[in-house]
Amino acid sequence: MKYKIIDKVTSDVMLEIYGKSPKELFENAAEALFSIICEVKKVKPLKSKKVILKESNLENLMFFWLQQLIARVDIDEMFFSKFNIEKITKESLTATIYGETITPEKGKTVVKSVTNHNFKVEKTNKGYKATVVLDI
Amino acid sequence: MKEKLQKINDFEWLLPKSARKEMKVDGKIIANKAIYDSMENDTIEQLSNVCCLPGIIEPVCALSDAHYGYGLPMGAVMAFDPEDGIISSGCTGFDINCGVNSIRTNLTFKEVNEKLKELVNELFNTIPCGVGSKGKLKLTNDQLDEVLVRGVNWALENGYGTREDIKNTEENGCMEGADPSKVSALAKQRGKPQLGTLGAGNHFLEIQKVSEIFDEKYAKKLGIINKDQVLIMLHCGSRGLGHQVASDYLKIHEQAVKKYKIWLPDNQLVGAPANSQEGQDYFAAMKAAVNYSFTNRFIMTQWIRETFEKVFKKTWQEMDMHTIYALAHNITKKEKHTIDGKKREVYITRKGATRAFPDIPVLLAGSMGTSSYILKGTEIAMQKTFGSSAHGSGRAMSRTQALKQFRGEKISHELLQQKGIITKSPNWESLAEEAPLAYKSSEMVVDSIHGAGISLKVVRVDPMAVCKG
Repeated sequence: MKYKIIDKVTSDVMLEIYGKSPKELFENAAEALFSIICEVKKVKPLKSKKVILKESNLENLMFFWLQQLIARVDIDEMFFSKFNIEKITKESLTATIYGETITPEKGKTVVKSVTNHNFKVEKTNKGYKATVVLDI
Repeated sequence: MKEKLQKINDFEWLLPKSARKEMKVDGKIIANKAIYDSMENDTIEQLSNVCCLPGIIEPVCALSDAHYGYGLPMGAVMAFDPEDGIISSGCTGFDINCGVNSIRTNLTFKEVNEKLKELVNELFNTIPCGVGSKGKLKLTNDQLDEVLVRGVNWALENGYGTREDIKNTEENGCMEGADPSKVSALAKQRGKPQLGTLGAGNHFLEIQKVSEIFDEKYAKKLGIINKDQVLIMLHCGSRGLGHQVASDYLKIHEQAVKKYKIWLPDNQLVGAPANSQEGQDYFAAMKAAVNYSFTNRFIMTQWIRETFEKVFKKTWQEMDMHTIYALAHNITKKEKHTIDGKKREVYITRKGATRAFPDIPVLLAGSMGTSSYILKGTEIAMQKTFGSSAHGSGRAMSRTQALKQFRGEKISHELLQQKGIITKSPNWESLAEEAPLAYKSSEMVVDSIHGAGISLKVVRVDPMAVCKG
């Protein structure tokens, strides 16, 4: 399983995201985010954008990765559906993200932000797990 | 935690500070029995979180629409001491100045109903809505900065709205002291193309008819005279600009919490001492987002008027389309309140709560397809809830549950069939998430706030048509 939605926060969305490696975790997190924002399966990988981030630790890196993707919807006026983490360390990542120009029919809801509430990135015996609450 | 609540009267419940060792002050819940019974323990736990914050002033209030949110209950008001307290970007939340405008018309239900489909289609074409929707305005960077500093005054000078609209807007649509230099380039980049857009999620534009008048005298003051009179309600916020301001300062305040050694019960409740640089920088940036949001709704109000002119072939003045009131329900402000018998200036954060000052209108937005209310604020609200009241019906079901249970197409159809309400949205899932059954009944919320005396019923309005992003 890549991710699941946890039914806890009434007004918002809580996600649990899984991955065998940080690369997989971050790619799955991006897909989970866009499954809330748009009909991700209908979004074609027609155009690509580069994302480069440097943060103080893996948790902050996850926070700003998702936050960057939320901002990119407004800035690039695109929905994204394919995410390729090319390089990742505990403190930095380089990624190429693919998607298409926004069409309102494929839009679902605005994600306002990643919140700090219960935000966690942890190592498990199966790999990595992130818990994220999104304000929508 | 719920077992620790004590009944004060039929509409008020006390969460004593003895309930948890870290609590500095008492909490209070405004709720009738039915709402009290349905309130989750988690919501009360979150109320206790806020009671633990530095410089918090008694009491922290959860309003009748309170539900479990991120870090604190959605539907709460809290006051902080300006010396010992904090200003919290986390408590104010991500949709800074999410709020509601109510606009009246002198048109009757019959007149509007005859042209309702045409009207909804025209509104849907005129008011940009949906995820990533862009506005028709092409602002320069300097113009955006002017919006952030001067709010609706900028819009008025550029041909939108009237002085009367400004008079009927909380803070006159412009908070003093907004500083665009405290707003990040990214926030401005996101906000620049979005001025004059509705967005998505629970934001909506609704055509309503007056279904009951409870206070004829006050209703008349607002220009509401007849049952069946048509009103318009606009609910939205500060779009990507406000979201980015909040996210930026969430991280700045995370550092401030470490720097000033502040203990937090939940990491979302980050903030900085009110008199610190980090606190005041946020306050100046938040005010800029507040002004953006007031302007956003102000501009759309004018476009709504123009759409009515096109459909009904009359001027908006002939249709008496004035702003009844425009207010914010996610905001931090400096206000004067009487605390322990003394008038003091304090920071008030309303998170999913409406200002309810004496004789000033309170707008309570119902969920999609259910009644909304116009009420008036009271002196009792000043004494009990720092001049605040509930802002909506409050979710009773998570969005995920709602999605599982309802399909938008079905809801849209059912509403159409059963109530004659037209719904229009670019995507069915956004309708399903906002299904009326996912919310508490607005009647119960209104019964609670009216019963507690923190705001009094003036009129009830029922939806005729809803445009959603």
